[in-house]
Amino acid sequence: MSRAFKLALASLVALALFATGCGGDDGDDTKAAFVMVAPIGDAGWNFMHNQGRLGAQEETGVETAFVESIPEGGAEFDNAVQQFIDDGYNVIITTSFGYMDATEQFANDNPDVIFEHVSGFKMNDTNFGNTFGRMYQPRYIAGMAAGAATESDRIGYVAAFPIPEVIRGINAFALGVARTNPDAVVEVAWTSTWFDPGVEGNTAQALIDAGADVLTMHQDSTATGQAITDAGGTFIGYHSDMSEQVDGYLTAPVWDWTPRYSQIIEDAKNGTYTPEAWWGGMADGVVDIDIPDSSPVAGEMKEVKQQILDGEFDVFDQGSVVAQDGTVIFQDGVIVNGFPNAFAPDVMVGEPGAAIDDFILLDMNFFVENVEGSLG
Amino acid sequence: MRNLRLVRRETPLAGGQFRAVLVGVVIALLVGVILLLATGNNPVSTYLRMLDGAFGSPRAWSNTLTRAVPLGLAGLAVAVAGSMGLWNIGAEGQIIAGAIGAAWVARLAPDLAGPLLIPLMLLGAVLGGAVLALGPALARARLGVSEIITTLMLNEVAIRIVRYLVNGPWKDPEGNNFPIAPEIPDQAKLPGLFERANIGVLIAAVVVGLFGWLVSRSAWGYELRIAGSSERTAEYVGISLRTKILTVLVMSGMFAGLAGGIELTGSASRLVEGVAGGWGFAGIIVAALALMRPSGVAAVAVAFGAVQIGGLSIQTQGVPAAIADILQALILFGALAAAVFGNYKLVRGEPATTLDTAGGAA
Repeated sequence: MSRAFKLALASLVALALFATGCGGDDGDDTKAAFVMVAPIGDAGWNFMHNQGRLGAQEETGVETAFVESIPEGGAEFDNAVQQFIDDGYNVIITTSFGYMDATEQFANDNPDVIFEHVSGFKMNDTNFGNTFGRMYQPRYIAGMAAGAATESDRIGYVAAFPIPEVIRGINAFALGVARTNPDAVVEVAWTSTWFDPGVEGNTAQALIDAGADVLTMHQDSTATGQAITDAGGTFIGYHSDMSEQVDGYLTAPVWDWTPRYSQIIEDAKNGTYTPEAWWGGMADGVVDIDIPDSSPVAGEMKEVKQQILDGEFDVFDQGSVVAQDGTVIFQDGVIVNGFPNAFAPDVMVGEPGAAIDDFILLDMNFFVENVEGSLG
Repeated sequence: MRNLRLVRRETPLAGGQFRAVLVGVVIALLVGVILLLATGNNPVSTYLRMLDGAFGSPRAWSNTLTRAVPLGLAGLAVAVAGSMGLWNIGAEGQIIAGAIGAAWVARLAPDLAGPLLIPLMLLGAVLGGAVLALGPALARARLGVSEIITTLMLNEVAIRIVRYLVNGPWKDPEGNNFPIAPEIPDQAKLPGLFERANIGVLIAAVVVGLFGWLVSRSAWGYELRIAGSSERTAEYVGISLRTKILTVLVMSGMFAGLAGGIELTGSASRLVEGVAGGWGFAGIIVAALALMRPSGVAAVAVAFGAVQIGGLSIQTQGVPAAIADILQALILFGALAAAVFGNYKLVRGEPATTLDTAGGAA
């Protein structure tokens, strides 16, 4: 085999030289790269980030690239990001919570590259910011549809982990439910996974067995939707319009990363990028709700959406917000009682008498009164 | 076809295992060329990118070696047990237990100087892995309970424990309520070696090298292999099977635990639920590719790390992750198949005697 082998090797080397010779650098143009933790084709979290990437590419005309299925914080992440840097990408957006520490390290090591981390809380003063969205706003409106849709007055909520983002979404949703249906309860069941169609489906089934005829979820698959559709009930989705995947689909609070990603890339291009802890809402376009005309409360949902867009309505600033044990937490936008910190139950979050601020929303660790289930 | 069966070769294929695996990998790469062409990707630039991603720069080397550390130690954990016929399927959980052990030490003595703290954390990691392996080891040695089941099930237990810790008592007070432990102190991080690699690479190399040598060359290793091939022979020559099972399984846990400690003090900055990253399960593949010989683990781990790192890096030039995954799987499968055919051959016809099959299955 030796002669054939040498021949093959020689041609491979020739091709290699040819291939490397063809590579050219375009200079200092802005190029944006995205790192995703799971495959983009899941109609969920990563799918919407890729939609945002494509949208931003179209709006800004900037070349973008992405990698998917990159484990959190290991050598794979390091290699992918380093290759993007080597290839001249100067905006790098990392879209999973577990990338936070590694992104911070990259940002400090590469001052000429802009890093934006989605869903975390770290940043620096020069080239590293974080981005997230106020999903609780459209969740509230989705809750209104759920409250109107349920006949058993029992709504199930399949949820991943008891972290503030998820808890906040559940509370906002439950407040929306209470607005259109004061008798309905929201039962929460935890899956301890972001993406596991089997577990999500089983958890959904347990909620259906307990009497729920409307289900929603904070997960990455559509398994909850399949389960409630099979049971003849109504599905409130999440992430994206899931009407094509799920027959029982009614509405969904959705992500739209295009405006935010376009803004980051434009700022990078113009040299005006400043890191911030960016927490955008419906008015910024990062979150939205798909309002179904078939819902009996569609008109009211549109009204609330308009009020939120106009800055006239705050989900947690309306009358009293009461915790499961009957404690009044907020009253007309003012903190009445704090709630225990998840880490140290003897430490209370929230200064009685102070106005509701982002800090207390970001640390949310209680369930409102029409939620059934425990925090973990 | 119905009569085809695998029979052990009387003498392994000429040129040895290495060449067989090389041929297997080349065949896999050729199949990959078809796959890449069919999906509209340039196979030459893809393979060059893969090579470049794994070995093209000191940086790439550092990532490949960093990935090889948990793969090698987990592979050793499986192979050392495997060389006496035991199956440690619990490396994933033992890595977690190791990371917990190391994190615990850092919690107890956060102000200790690095040169003291790091060795103590790694000791904590080794003990953590040993603790998780002790139950299955005792159950197997004393009661004959299958270690396959017990080590496998303890993976779940370890995941539940780390989940409890990062959601409860060890949750980072400054972590915005996320399920993460606090970052380990700065002086607890392993010193760097070059680029992104830390001295964990050296530690793992020494451990894997030493135990590879011990199992294949020392009297202790010889006894191990005898015990693995025939219990009766072992008893006849006076080897205490119970003690051997106990030490070997606990030792296996220690190797995987060390991997967890190196991950925590090296790559990861804090304890999180996903600290083991699936490398414990990948260790089973590493050990299988090394034909359960601890002496082969180091080379396999580096090759596996290269496939992992280089395989993912081809995505940065536009090859979809699914294709990258298939390529990685093809390469591993090709190597594994070739490793088998280096020692076994396909034979047509009924078994000549029952003894023949018994020999082939050993």
